[in-house]
Amino acid sequence: MGRAVAIIGVGQSKHGKRMDVCYPDLVREAVVAVFEDSGLTPDDIDGVVSGTMPSMMEGVAMTHFYFAEAMQAVGKPILKTETCGSTGVSTAQTAYYWVSSGMADVVLAVGHEKMNEGDSQATMTTVMEPFYQKYFLSGAPGVFSMQSQGWSVRFNIPEEKVREAAAVISVNHHDSAFDNPYAHVKVRLTVDDVKNAKVITYPIRLYDVCPNSDGACAVIFASEEMAKKLCKKPAWVKGVGYRGEEQFFGDSDKAVWPSAVGAAKEAYEQAGITNPRKELDVAEVYNPFTYQEMLFYECFGFCDFGEAPDLVLKGVFSRDGELPCDPSGGVLCTNPIGATGLIRVAEAAMQVTDKAGARQIPGAKMALAHAMGGIDQFNGVLILGSEL
Amino acid sequence: MLNKVAIVEVAQISGPDSKDNFYDQAYWVTKEVLDKAGLKREELGTVVSTASDVFHGGISCANAYYWESVGAFLKNGTRQDGESIFALYYAAMRILSGHYETALAVALCKGSENPENDTITQFFADPFYQRPVGLNETTAAALQMRQYMDRYGISEEQCAKVAVKNLGNALRNPNAHRKGRYTVDDILDSKRLVDPLTELQCAPKSEGMVAVLLASEDKARELTGKPVWFKGYGCSLDAFFVGDRDLLRGQLRHASAMAYKMAGISEPRREIDLAEISEPYAFQELMWCEHLGFCGEGEGGKLIDSMATQIDGDMPVNPSGGLLANNPYVSRGLQRVLEAVLQIRGQAGERQVDKKVNTALAHGTHGFAGQCHAVVILGS
Repeated sequence: MGRAVAIIGVGQSKHGKRMDVCYPDLVREAVVAVFEDSGLTPDDIDGVVSGTMPSMMEGVAMTHFYFAEAMQAVGKPILKTETCGSTGVSTAQTAYYWVSSGMADVVLAVGHEKMNEGDSQATMTTVMEPFYQKYFLSGAPGVFSMQSQGWSVRFNIPEEKVREAAAVISVNHHDSAFDNPYAHVKVRLTVDDVKNAKVITYPIRLYDVCPNSDGACAVIFASEEMAKKLCKKPAWVKGVGYRGEEQFFGDSDKAVWPSAVGAAKEAYEQAGITNPRKELDVAEVYNPFTYQEMLFYECFGFCDFGEAPDLVLKGVFSRDGELPCDPSGGVLCTNPIGATGLIRVAEAAMQVTDKAGARQIPGAKMALAHAMGGIDQFNGVLILGSEL
Repeated sequence: MLNKVAIVEVAQISGPDSKDNFYDQAYWVTKEVLDKAGLKREELGTVVSTASDVFHGGISCANAYYWESVGAFLKNGTRQDGESIFALYYAAMRILSGHYETALAVALCKGSENPENDTITQFFADPFYQRPVGLNETTAAALQMRQYMDRYGISEEQCAKVAVKNLGNALRNPNAHRKGRYTVDDILDSKRLVDPLTELQCAPKSEGMVAVLLASEDKARELTGKPVWFKGYGCSLDAFFVGDRDLLRGQLRHASAMAYKMAGISEPRREIDLAEISEPYAFQELMWCEHLGFCGEGEGGKLIDSMATQIDGDMPVNPSGGLLANNPYVSRGLQRVLEAVLQIRGQAGERQVDKKVNTALAHGTHGFAGQCHAVVILGS
């Protein structure tokens, strides 16, 4: 393999409905934060990677142009990475490969979205293939509802149990968001609140679904030499995995989901992880829908297929459980899509460097960050560790 | 560089339009490049594609649409937007990182199904200041052209000569969209689109599916007897607001200096045998030649007058006809790479230049008045 790569700084904007700032200033907020966190200056950066969702989201195309100054990218090489919902992890992986290849020593990755400027579900409807699928797969919830139904039927999980476990996940994440100063939705819920909320797309209800957020995230990646020179406590990239599937929903298995299984397997192999539930200390799973989060636990080998709801109810994945998942509140509470995957990476980096404040999992040394995208098509995984 | 990376094979499907749909074109160009190298899809390491949501016929998340058509099913892949030379660079990075022995860089643009280019490029502008005044790639270029002529005394005739040359070269290129034997007067008398730009000085809207297979040094020698080496890369982004920039002193000098440094080139005019340059507007070829160091500042007019950049000159520029002949927006940079590879390998058919091409330069640009430039140096 190429050179070792570490994360030496993270920055986030405050996420939410940010009508107080324009889009470039939202990006600037995260970029200023990453320079404050790392102690670096823009002169230290060799290249910049920018990532976002499609142009229809905010009505500005190729936003790397618009954010040239906000990203401190003027006069620098730029790469523009876009892979739908998985963009944030793809952006991080672009920065990783750039440094690992030896073509750059220090790379800034920036993810951003200002979803309150546009109509995200209308945008997602234009992701579908326009001749056959667009007419019945409009928006994100429809796709994920079908996936969760298929999964629970396949493994004979009683509907009530799935419902209960999903509600527990929702309550936990919404509680965790109170410990995250950057999180968007902060509301105290009970299991009954979640179970009785209005239906969005059956069986998914309001608190099973992520919000539309405005937000940006910036992460600095560096070579081993530069990381040791510039940072007291870097987060080392131990593994990178990514897999993509075909466009037509229904052509492949979405319960034993090949791209999720494959991406995690690739990253685990590089990181030398054979028993993820034991060896990982914390996971930032991309969880825009509560039901889907359980599916990811299974595909990532945290437990057997069909077993996730039972373990959720036992608290295995809770903050004080065996493998805490999404102590940041996760995507369920904050989803500026082009930034979301990179926020998972930033949160994982903060966990393994003991910088996660009130949401810190004590002693976390190995963390997983993940993002998913497309019509249930793409999964990307990064493993970060406190040791080289 | 830690190791060497080579281009093993190239393929393209280009032209004004096609009866084949997007999926078919993406599939056939991918299959062609893999077949040429004798590589099975299962053996391919990784796929880095480029396509643009806005140049994608109204479909968002371009990569979601064509993922399996470019051979990426259940592979580790990714996508770049805007500039397809980014995909070449990223594919090379993935190989240099040691994770992969082979990487496919593919660029997809079906221009015939897109709105007019400038209907789309206006969305590069911010919605508050630049878009309401009608700024798009062509109006920005017209401002730049006027400044260029004023500051250096370049004439409209000299700018038009680029179109005469490139559309003439395109007669030898079966993949070209627009081609013909034109005079300077024909070019200047064509419809005036945005003063001082006339229609034949502005690139058309074309189709371009371009596939480039890269491999590590050992693997490349196994797959081909004619590897073309990736020698240098440079890229630089300019400020956003057109009014904040000196449009005649952009980032191309900086981008090319990076590429030359990596490739060990100190005298570009002498050491580079041929250049394939992205010139969406005719005068830009003159300006970019200056910024690439092929002539002095303000001497682009003299350069075209000297005939040096003709297909039989000592510094041929765009023997393929360039963007004026074929302009698949996001694919155009990788198409320049493909043309440079064909020239180095002596496989450019009727458009093959007479002299031996050992070192070639490929250039891509996108954004208003060249907000972003990327430069690649390739060598035999």
